[in-house]
Amino acid sequence: MERWQPQHGRWGRGRGRGRGNHSSSSFARSNDSRPSTTSNYATTTSKTSSFGINDKQDNNDSESLPNLIGTCPFMCPVDERVQRERLRDLAIFERLEGNPTKSSSSLAVKKFCRTISTKDIRDVDMRPVPVLEDTLNYLLTIFKSRSHPFEVIHDFIFDRTRSIRQDLSMQSITSGDQSIRMFERIVEFHIVSHYKLRRNTTDSNVSPMHYLNLEQLTKALASLYHLYDENRKSNPSYANEAKFYSFFVLLHLGSDHQPTGESLSLWFRSLPYSIVKSKEMMFSRRLLRYFRFGNYKRFLHTTEAEASCLQYYIIEPYISEIRATGLSCLNYGGYKLHPYPLADLSKHLLLEESDVESFCKDCGLDTFTSDTGTKFMPTKQTSFCHPKGSRKYYPLVSERLKPFYDEAPYRI
Amino acid sequence: MASYMSMGEAHRRITEYLNRFADVVSYQDGTSLKHLLSLSSESSSFLALADALNLFQDANRLIRQADKYSQYAEIVAPLFRAMQSYRVGHLAESYQAFEKSANAFIQEFRNWESAWALEALYVVVYEIRVLAERADRELASNGKTPEKLKAAGSFLMKVFGVLAGKGPKRVGALYVTCQLFKVYFKLGTVHLCRSVIRSIETARIFDFEEFPVRDKVTYMYYTGRLEVLNENFSAADHKLSYALTHCDPQSEANIRMILKYLVPVKLSIGILPKRSLLEKYNLIEYNDIVLAMKRGDLRLLRQALEEHEDRFLRSGVYLVLEKLELQVYQRLVKKIYIIQKQKDPSKAHQIKLEVIVKALKWLEMEMDLDEVECIMSILIYKNLVKGYFAHKSKVAVLSKQDPFPKLNGKPINS
Repeated sequence: MERWQPQHGRWGRGRGRGRGNHSSSSFARSNDSRPSTTSNYATTTSKTSSFGINDKQDNNDSESLPNLIGTCPFMCPVDERVQRERLRDLAIFERLEGNPTKSSSSLAVKKFCRTISTKDIRDVDMRPVPVLEDTLNYLLTIFKSRSHPFEVIHDFIFDRTRSIRQDLSMQSITSGDQSIRMFERIVEFHIVSHYKLRRNTTDSNVSPMHYLNLEQLTKALASLYHLYDENRKSNPSYANEAKFYSFFVLLHLGSDHQPTGESLSLWFRSLPYSIVKSKEMMFSRRLLRYFRFGNYKRFLHTTEAEASCLQYYIIEPYISEIRATGLSCLNYGGYKLHPYPLADLSKHLLLEESDVESFCKDCGLDTFTSDTGTKFMPTKQTSFCHPKGSRKYYPLVSERLKPFYDEAPYRI
Repeated sequence: MASYMSMGEAHRRITEYLNRFADVVSYQDGTSLKHLLSLSSESSSFLALADALNLFQDANRLIRQADKYSQYAEIVAPLFRAMQSYRVGHLAESYQAFEKSANAFIQEFRNWESAWALEALYVVVYEIRVLAERADRELASNGKTPEKLKAAGSFLMKVFGVLAGKGPKRVGALYVTCQLFKVYFKLGTVHLCRSVIRSIETARIFDFEEFPVRDKVTYMYYTGRLEVLNENFSAADHKLSYALTHCDPQSEANIRMILKYLVPVKLSIGILPKRSLLEKYNLIEYNDIVLAMKRGDLRLLRQALEEHEDRFLRSGVYLVLEKLELQVYQRLVKKIYIIQKQKDPSKAHQIKLEVIVKALKWLEMEMDLDEVECIMSILIYKNLVKGYFAHKSKVAVLSKQDPFPKLNGKPINS
């Protein structure tokens, strides 16, 4: 048997010192001459490559080895762990007692490898399904912990779950409830991160990490849908299927948020009717209708009353948008001599009364206080603008949603 | 079955075909050549030949017998295999062999200077798609992964490349494009249309007007459908209307297909079809929608959408039709205005919001004053209603002049 050799630069630059605090799959570059993904995030090409040939490794119908069954009994193949110990390429969670050169089989987790020529793969480097399940459970325990800054935790889980997905697709594991359940949990991880990354970033521009997470979220969803389809003959429906389809609709609420570059109308064409009529899909379809119409009242109230935690995490960015549109319409069409009471705005837009003034200001609109102390927004102002960049979000007035907003731990 | 055929006759049929093939190519008779390449037409001569091949079993020996036709072995040998497999219902195998033959054919086609074989090429391209579709159906029914149509797509892109040159053959590129569209639409990989559209529309070697009308109609139909999927209504209107005006008026099936997508587009820009048109082309699923728009009947719109939900979702027009709600609201408010005008013209332009609430209640739609105000504000914002609403007095005040501007063929501005 040939001695296994790592490809050059397989796990990052290996200059350990200072690099080790978080795994950076985006720095792993070997024979790949393409520019780093992080610098690509603003261009449109990476958006359309979701289903293109650039990221074959993640896509379900990439080159897979139908006869390969993994035999690696650990979360990380032994050779890789040894190699990374030597190169000081251990994430902070993988270090034994903080030692950057020492890990263990209960700490090391296989990294995602972008370019991998299939002829080099050995079965001892692949983890079989039970090991992948244990690995995922372990990773999600870390995800729940608050031992490190969220971005550090996210980055680690992001990379290591990507590797799990890669192991699954390279072994062509398309059958089985376990595979589906793993993808479902990974999608849930991405959704929670989608929310927390946005909340925890201080600058007004959406960070590259957030964009990359969204990219992997849509890829994982696509793989999940593929799995549902493949297994439909043997198992006509999975308990959670409708829920996971509803996420896709919600991700496409806004016209400029097209994570997959694919039109929703096209996507709907291939859905089984039972999914289309499911409770979760009807919910998200209604929200879509309200959003496209601009019906802020129904959109906000329906969200308040019915959205699940994960659905809410996806919907939240659109709340500001539809509130602003609503404000814009009320300002435009309102009678000049009837300034709009902020108390009423609070009711319509589900804003705390104390937040309405700030929100109006964010939209470039003035308010004033009358002699009796009541606050109003004059109509027919010409200074309205959508609050871009300013990502201050005012929570929905809602007892039910409060725990979600307060980031109560979500059990994946 | 071939039981009635003797070996001698089988031998004769095969050599007859081989001779014909060779003759037709040397005389550059494209029309005759195309008849020799079609499997799916299942003509009696093809069926007889296939039976002969299955009986004789050693056609390769016959092919090698004379230089006249052995030079076409690379095309004919796999073609024979394709025919044989087809005849016994092994469609995946048939596709595989046919693709090999088609590949060899393309290589020869490249070398022929003039475009004499273009008609035959069309047949080959058509067969590739149709055989692949059937092969995939066979694979799926046997629990295997259907992958032939995807392969056909790749092959057709190759053919497109062969035609994308400066010579007279380039006129065939649009036909291949349309076959590619059909493949991509069937597979759902519609985003792949982009690159071939870009080639047709921006490459300098192509002049759209030079292409045959039939291909231009098909092209506009598919690109029009893409615009519908992306809700670009002006572009969709332009393309689908082109397809409609240039379509053969005798071809009712094709007209129906175009109208299926053009009607929702026209509705979106405020143009309603006559009931007689819908009935003539059996598009009655749109009847209630048109009626709802004429009446301002929101309940009817919702009902119609639900009744034909599956069909509208499959054709990709559901979201387009849902958007018509705005126009239906406009119509409803206009009706109230008209009724008020009859009662008291001087006060007609003031519509109490609670009157709208009441009207909606008659339609069994529960809506409170706040929501009605929300809707009015949107109608005003989008210029479907001219006027303003007075929040304190809960009244909508319409402009005295042209309070309900028509869309005039333009999509609603957002």
